[in-house]
Amino acid sequence: MHPATPPTTNAPVGRSHRTPLSRRRLLRGLLAVTVAAPLMFGAAACGEDDGGAADPNAPVKLSIFWWGGDARAKLTEDALALYTSKHPNVTFEKTWQANQGYFDKLATLTAGGNPPDLFQIDDNYLAEYAARSTTLDLTSYQKSGKLDTSKFPESLWQYGVVDGKLVGLAAGENTQGLVYNKTLLTKHNLPEPTTGMTWEQHIAWAEEVSKKTGVPGTQDPSADYKALWVWLRQQGKDLYKGKELGFTAEDVTKWFELWKSARDRKATPTADVIHEGNATDITKQLVVTGKAGTSWVWANQMPDLKKNTKDELGVIAYPGDPSAQWARASMYWSVFKGSKNKDVAVDVINFLNNDLEAVKLLGTDRGLPSNQDLRRVVNDGTTDPAMQQSIAVEAELTQKFGKSPQVPIKGHSKVRTELTKAAENAQYGRATPAQAAAQFIEACKSAIA
Amino acid sequence: MALTTAPDPTRPDPGSVRAHADRRGSGRVRHSEGLAGYVFLSPWLIGLMGVTAIPMLLSLYLSFTNYDILTPFSEVEWVGLANYERMFTADPSYWHAVRVTLTFALIAVPLKLAAALGVALLLNRAWRGVGLFRGLFYLPSLLGGSVALAIVWVNMFNRDGAFNSLLSIFGITGKPWVNDPDWALETLMVLAIWQFGAPMVIFLAGLKQVPTELYEAASVDGAGRFRQFRNVTLPMLSPVIFFNLVLETINGFQGFTAAFVLSNGLGGPVDSTLMYTLNLYITGFTDLEMGYASAMAWVFLLAIAVLTAIFFSTGRFWVHYSDGEDR
Repeated sequence: MHPATPPTTNAPVGRSHRTPLSRRRLLRGLLAVTVAAPLMFGAAACGEDDGGAADPNAPVKLSIFWWGGDARAKLTEDALALYTSKHPNVTFEKTWQANQGYFDKLATLTAGGNPPDLFQIDDNYLAEYAARSTTLDLTSYQKSGKLDTSKFPESLWQYGVVDGKLVGLAAGENTQGLVYNKTLLTKHNLPEPTTGMTWEQHIAWAEEVSKKTGVPGTQDPSADYKALWVWLRQQGKDLYKGKELGFTAEDVTKWFELWKSARDRKATPTADVIHEGNATDITKQLVVTGKAGTSWVWANQMPDLKKNTKDELGVIAYPGDPSAQWARASMYWSVFKGSKNKDVAVDVINFLNNDLEAVKLLGTDRGLPSNQDLRRVVNDGTTDPAMQQSIAVEAELTQKFGKSPQVPIKGHSKVRTELTKAAENAQYGRATPAQAAAQFIEACKSAIA
Repeated sequence: MALTTAPDPTRPDPGSVRAHADRRGSGRVRHSEGLAGYVFLSPWLIGLMGVTAIPMLLSLYLSFTNYDILTPFSEVEWVGLANYERMFTADPSYWHAVRVTLTFALIAVPLKLAAALGVALLLNRAWRGVGLFRGLFYLPSLLGGSVALAIVWVNMFNRDGAFNSLLSIFGITGKPWVNDPDWALETLMVLAIWQFGAPMVIFLAGLKQVPTELYEAASVDGAGRFRQFRNVTLPMLSPVIFFNLVLETINGFQGFTAAFVLSNGLGGPVDSTLMYTLNLYITGFTDLEMGYASAMAWVFLLAIAVLTAIFFSTGRFWVHYSDGEDR
């Protein structure tokens, strides 16, 4: 029995009729809304497919989309303004953003039936888009001379051909570049690395740097597809052969073992720092954050890297025989197949690549100009020392470049992330090189199937 | 005899209330009221249909196709159950993501609720400046899924972040938390737990609703602090606990932003932060397998629905509504 409780019940129970009931209703109602909350992905798409515009003087608004920083935006906008001043009927709807998330956005725009007429793309995605017939075949424009590639290095424009179609035109040329911290080396009286050092020599050099400076000599590039690619080509292999992988599990095991030995010798940073440097973001490259003596990048990224550090930087080719490197299209301009303004879009690409004034404005921001005649003019006019270094190393390598490989195939973006995953498994010591290699090959097979 | 089981003479039978309401007014008035209701509802309804319901149904359809975003809708191929088959039989990284998500939710959600309830109990007293503390504890959850917060977190829990500097004062050498595959997910859990403000506020509201008479009665009966908490606070609060549990579990499963930012959208290091939704996003937008990603989304929706149903069915045994309607 509860002698004291009964008297207190009347008031609270009476009151609690309404409050808990409504509270409970409220709670239930809120729950229902939350449970039903949308988990939705997918978007409606509707393709538009029209031919080119008929009247050459009809007003045209061309949408154009690229990735890059403020500097690139400024240069590109200037060049496009120049086009408009020469063709007053053509105006541009410009959109640009940082590299991260760019391809998500491009895919979404395409799905939404609202893709840009003209867009920037690189070899990581070119085949993905071409295989799904999103990109316009530029071959007929090239043949008719409306798209002039006569001054391009042959291998450079060919690096935009997928399945026999010219689906992207090189907006510039670059190649792999190993960037090192000059200031660090000078301070400790260490020799600078040189193009043509073997991988073994490079690692020995890096070990020496680690010992003398306390800064790990080199970033471990085992998660980096472009370093693996160069190394494979030096072994007579390639990243892809036709629709297949151009290498085997044994090759990858050797590659992972090479870098395991480098880590064991303390030539590289620890796994967590390597992981930081594996981000593609320029500002996180270990050579500019001071966490390693070198970073494995593209040669035309020199000026951007230099902006993020006070130290002097140098750039050379990746280790081993430099003929494994090639004149790579740093990025392309592609035209959306369903664009209503195909002809104008192609003309703009032609203008951005072959007009002296436009090329001068754009400079070397997207890599060395594709048009070799104009490249000479631009190179001579370059004042940025970092860019001059980049130009010098590319000019030197141009004599040594090997044949271009085929453009990476559909599924390549997945192959890249799987390489990072497998390499990091080995770096953190969670898998042996052989296990990591087997894991990588397995994942690649389903990625490119 | 328990108080809640006592019949209450002052209270009309709930059935008769409803019957009475139905008899109220003529049919025509009700009809025009109904119409006006829909008119007022329409902005929301159109939004629901256009932005949620239709795309959702569309994604159900897409989950049976090989839709890859870039291919026009009209050329999409029907692949039957292939996507679902692949998910359950041939995709180890899918199951890895399931494991990561379950680990995250099973640890972070109970701890977050415990933290929220604990702090709510502390803040339920009439202290000086208690309002300020309520505000301060609530603040982190206002920042919600913010990208900026995740960036701050990454920088705090780096090898040379603020947290390790703090540890070094005590002579402890920290780890590179966010860049260590053994700790990255735990770092995300701490972030989730730290944002306990929203459930805390709901708990506080719940605590305010508990009639003080019950405590008085209990203490007259000789119940100590702990027994009062166990036998009065917890049962009275159980509907709110239930509400928070369901809500936070769903939230926990959907964790995306922090994992995306911490890993640059890749789920690293070594897939340690590959949450379900992040894996889904990568599949859809990076690998361009949107049909497969849609299938993942639907399995996810079903899994959460089942889980919620389980919560509701077990709720009978431990959730007490003081109006006694659920007996």
